[in-house]
Amino acid sequence: MKRRGSVRGGSGLNEEVQLKPAPIHARNGFMNADATEKRFIVATDVGGTCTDTVVVAPGEAFIMGKALSTPPDFAGGVLDSIAVAARQMDLSVEALLARTHLFMHGSTVVDNTLLTRSGAPTGLITTGGFEDTVFVTRGAYGRWAGQPEDWIKHPVASDRPVPLISEDAVCGVPERVDYKGEILLPLDEAETERAVRHLVGDRQVEAIAIAFLWSFYNADNERRARDIVQRVAPDAYVTLSSDIAPVPGEYERSSTAVINAYAGRLASGYLTDLKAQLAGQGYEGPVMVMQGYGGLLPSQEAADRAVGMIECGPAAGVIGAKALGDLMGDADVIAADMGGTTFKVGVIQNGEIEYAREPLVDRYHYVAPKIEVVSIGAGGGSIVSLDPRTNVPRVGPHSAGADPGPVCYGRGGTEVTLTDVFTLIGYMDPDIFLDGAMTLDIAAARTAFETQVAGPLGLPVEEAAFGIFRIASAQVTDLIHEITVERGLDPRDYVLHAFGGSCPILASSFAAELNVKRIVVPYTASVNCALGLVSADIVHEYSVTTTLPGDTDPERINALYAPLIEKARAQLAAEGFDEADTALDWSIDLRYARQVHEVTTPVYGRKPVDAAALKGLIDDFEALYERKYGKGSAYREAGIEMTLFRLSASGRLQRPDIEPLPLEGPDAGHARIGRREIFVDARDGMAPADIYDFTEIRPGNEIAGPAVVHTPITTIVVQDGQRARMDELRNIVIDFR
Amino acid sequence: MDPITFSIIRHRLFRIVDEAVITLKHVSGSAITNEGHDLMVSLYRADGSLLMGGVGFLHHLTSAAEACKAIIRRFEGDINEGDIFLLNDPYTAALHTSDIYLVSPIHHDGRLVAWSACFVHVYDIGAMNPGGFAPDAQDIYTEGFSSPGIRLVEKGALRQDVMDTLLNMVRSPEMVSLDMRSMIACNNVARDRMLSLIGKYGYDTVDAACQELIDQSEDLLRQRLAELPDGQWQSRQYLEAKDEVYEVFLTMTKKGDELVFDFTGSSPQAAYSVNCTKWASLGGLFAPLFPLLCYDITWNEGVIRPIEMIAPEGTIVNCTRPAPVSVATVGAIQSVNNAACSTIGKMLESSGKYRGEATAVWHANHFAIFKFGRNQHGGEAIGIFTETFAGSGGARTFADGIDVGGEIPNPISRMANVETVEAGFPIRYLFRRRMTDSGGPGKYRGGAGMEFAVMPHDSPDGGIHYVISGKGADFPMSDGLAGGYPGAPNSYVWVRNNDAEQANKNVDTRFAQSLDDMPGEQESVTWGVFPLMGEDALYVGWNGGGGYGDPLERDPETVLEDCRTGVVSARSARDVYGVVLDGDGGTVDAAATEALRRSMYAERLYPEAAE
Repeated sequence: MKRRGSVRGGSGLNEEVQLKPAPIHARNGFMNADATEKRFIVATDVGGTCTDTVVVAPGEAFIMGKALSTPPDFAGGVLDSIAVAARQMDLSVEALLARTHLFMHGSTVVDNTLLTRSGAPTGLITTGGFEDTVFVTRGAYGRWAGQPEDWIKHPVASDRPVPLISEDAVCGVPERVDYKGEILLPLDEAETERAVRHLVGDRQVEAIAIAFLWSFYNADNERRARDIVQRVAPDAYVTLSSDIAPVPGEYERSSTAVINAYAGRLASGYLTDLKAQLAGQGYEGPVMVMQGYGGLLPSQEAADRAVGMIECGPAAGVIGAKALGDLMGDADVIAADMGGTTFKVGVIQNGEIEYAREPLVDRYHYVAPKIEVVSIGAGGGSIVSLDPRTNVPRVGPHSAGADPGPVCYGRGGTEVTLTDVFTLIGYMDPDIFLDGAMTLDIAAARTAFETQVAGPLGLPVEEAAFGIFRIASAQVTDLIHEITVERGLDPRDYVLHAFGGSCPILASSFAAELNVKRIVVPYTASVNCALGLVSADIVHEYSVTTTLPGDTDPERINALYAPLIEKARAQLAAEGFDEADTALDWSIDLRYARQVHEVTTPVYGRKPVDAAALKGLIDDFEALYERKYGKGSAYREAGIEMTLFRLSASGRLQRPDIEPLPLEGPDAGHARIGRREIFVDARDGMAPADIYDFTEIRPGNEIAGPAVVHTPITTIVVQDGQRARMDELRNIVIDFR
Repeated sequence: MDPITFSIIRHRLFRIVDEAVITLKHVSGSAITNEGHDLMVSLYRADGSLLMGGVGFLHHLTSAAEACKAIIRRFEGDINEGDIFLLNDPYTAALHTSDIYLVSPIHHDGRLVAWSACFVHVYDIGAMNPGGFAPDAQDIYTEGFSSPGIRLVEKGALRQDVMDTLLNMVRSPEMVSLDMRSMIACNNVARDRMLSLIGKYGYDTVDAACQELIDQSEDLLRQRLAELPDGQWQSRQYLEAKDEVYEVFLTMTKKGDELVFDFTGSSPQAAYSVNCTKWASLGGLFAPLFPLLCYDITWNEGVIRPIEMIAPEGTIVNCTRPAPVSVATVGAIQSVNNAACSTIGKMLESSGKYRGEATAVWHANHFAIFKFGRNQHGGEAIGIFTETFAGSGGARTFADGIDVGGEIPNPISRMANVETVEAGFPIRYLFRRRMTDSGGPGKYRGGAGMEFAVMPHDSPDGGIHYVISGKGADFPMSDGLAGGYPGAPNSYVWVRNNDAEQANKNVDTRFAQSLDDMPGEQESVTWGVFPLMGEDALYVGWNGGGGYGDPLERDPETVLEDCRTGVVSARSARDVYGVVLDGDGGTVDAAATEALRRSMYAERLYPEAAE
């Protein structure tokens, strides 16, 4: 079983380490306490709505705890959800934490800080003459990026987001570095000091970002400016663009520095506070923080990299899907999550995870390694509406959210949502929704749907509802198509993992159209992100930017890596890892000269590299390029260039095995709790279906469609002609081939 | 047709175009395609009429329809599955020779069912000047390779002889080859996806949906036009080239549910390459029409039906062969864009319901400046200053225009980072920032444009050259709306700093922070090829968008804010906005402002009395 959570990990990136079996029970720096006494790993993921905890211990089933998130003081929800898990173990929070040796954590705190604009008043010091770079966003780029078709076609109505920093909190100072990293103009220190005084004095900023042209090649001027800030305004929180995003492209790099400065103090305060609260409850071990690239960092290191925490929840979700895929022997996985407001999807290809190329957070550009997760505004709460002029129906992008929520919740929601449609076509059981915590008002949903949708369409309620269901299914299909087929990946090679409250309802329909191999509704679907935390390793990312030709001398590459490796080794050693538990993965961004698209290509060969390893790298790049950009897209005549040299240094964390359960016979009759009419896609109408209680289904049991399985947290629809089974890990699996 | 299937097919058609665009950008390596988004992909019906217009340079949507029709006429009976045709003759359908169309028939079960078409501005087309814009061209014959229709791919196989002929006539053939390759890949993707759509829903259903989509767009636009007031609106755009000034004069008449664009009164065709052909003019007026009137309507043939264009032959907007047209896209076509934006804006502004959709003219004067020469790595480089794609927004009836906010005819453009340019060209930027007083004053201000200056840096030849076909330096072009002022004119300045005799020769200009800091001899340049050698600098400032409403109605505090951020000067605050700031410019002097505004109003009514 592979247990590596590293983003590019998985398949033999580093032979010297890979040859050894993964040391599941190995000791390392975090494990020095007595393993029998401190046997638990606790992982808590803070999402926008819910905070999930998973507790794992060797040889025991997962314990899951769920509580509501408590913004803006998220630590409260963290302790609440740990308490829910502890209760199931008949332990107090203190008792559980006292026996915990590792706490892993993902949090939406940075996303939330940006979304609610609650960061620190921030200033920017930049190269004189280029003060407007972050405001003008490379022209309309910052206006249209990440926006849907409707928005892009309507320029008169579309603005940029309001900037995070005010226009009078930007100071240009005389300094200049050129494209080679040569300092043409040393930093004007007097002017810089004046700028700092202006920012903290007149403008009352509490955080300062420093972003100079070409600083990723030569950071001297930025560092001198930082020294001045620290001298003149020692309380200010400082971020250097060359630290946080040492890559070319001053707009994105500056924007990243601004975001990090803006959210930095809050994020680091949050982590310090959380650590203190955990310590107050008796926890003595380290706090590991999830990064958007799917690896963990010790909290003291994560604290200075607020941008690293952006969207770390969805990233953990992809890591969780990868861990499950590894466990089940599936290297190619589409991880789809559909909750109340959005449908999110990430792809694991051959055990590897794709990075986002031009990431955005709340419409701001930033640059940081981040797992690609794409999303559309389609969830259970998405509002169903008709174009008033043409009567053409649409689902989303607006959402009724959790409050007031769908009409059938009876909490005052008046607009029809997708969940209402699911209710009308028999997929939801009105009495046992969310484990019976809530009943659904079908009559109200029906009346609203008839008035708002079916009536104006001139269709009977059921028929209109089928149509809406199909539109939602088609939207999701199109999104998955976008992230697979449009990137040269064939969904037929993939297993679909369906997470979230709504995804397993639709999955049997859209997965059939995409023609995936099988659907897996994971046992841990509701706490997938927390599970991802447990599956991740400590990963430090290092990189150096320079351009070398493809036929460069291998020694030049090794020379670039030498200092990175030294830094990485020291870091991992300081964290207490034995060298045997670490892996150093090299990857290089390559492109065809005169083209603009780079492909991050892992170095599989010998390291330090020799001629053979280099040749392997080039071959891999060419294959990857054509797969990604299409056959015939490679432009070999111009030669190949290497532009970015990355080192991913991981330290493997100890974690327990998941014990498979024994398989029983196929009969699931004991779990059947009823029969009702549901919409059956292939029959284009309602038909009787068996209804099952997930908690009664045992591994090995099989269920023939049409059927519905209700779990405490979601609903699984099995369409006509499909067969679902529970596997030895309690996942529900629908095989297509 | 059932609304569900219709909705799904419509969405799929859009996705097809989007995916083909991504393919195009992935394969093409050029900055103009990837940063400027100077490209287009669309789907057409079997007869060549527009089915699904993509988001790209919008003045190509109708021209590429004409390109499909021209290919149908020329190759009737000999159009086969897997063929791809090339067309770039402006007198047949294209806008200028460097915007090459590749159009590809899509066959299903042996029957021609649709076309896909795309274009990119190719790296070079072999015109007199590098990069495609040829200010020195005298006629179409000097504007490079040009074809009224030729088969480039025959039944799936590239005709290497044809490709080699093209590549034989252009600079940097390897880059042009890449452009061609990107367009072939793009058409292939569009065809494959279209066929799988037909495969899933059946030809008859898809065909019916396409027909309905077109009819629906027509109905929707006609409904919208019927809701707008009848009337006539005019716009006059001045366009200079070298030492001449031309006019594009537009009268737009709206009656019932139809709209007529009449260019009668425009200048006779020019001796310079700013002319455009009638297909280009048609595209030019549709480019703003799609996003301004059809922001919520699918862009297809149905939108074209209620529109009529009158463009007298032999004028700058319908020139006759062999007039040169290589600068058309930033010349007469853009003036047509601007004029149409202006008249449509006026019409919308006069409607109660659609007032919020009205806008002053956005970024009205593109500057095509192609730098070329040997770069610091020893390679030959040609490339446009992509800053021209950064644009600036026109003011709206409810808000300021967006500073450096793009443009209407190309909704998803952007400019390159300074570091990207400096990495590939032997030049260095001195500054790049918003230009003071560039946005058109008004109750709502036009979005600001920018200014930048570059100098040679590490050039193996001591510098490079550039081709400029700049306009808008003599006349403001981004018209205001409802009393708003136009955006400022552009400026293009060659700071000559190599003359030993020069008075200020010893002043170090290497880190100058403004044009005023550059004491060399300043010469305005707009047309032709110029050096950027030694200590020379090139300064470019581009216009902001037009303003909306009377500047005297602008909230004085907002004017103060603009002064603080440097977007408006204290002088303009006083002279144009009638806002008096106190001594150090930190606050508004309310009483003095009111008095000044009163006197300015009075002066408008009784100019003599004020004197």
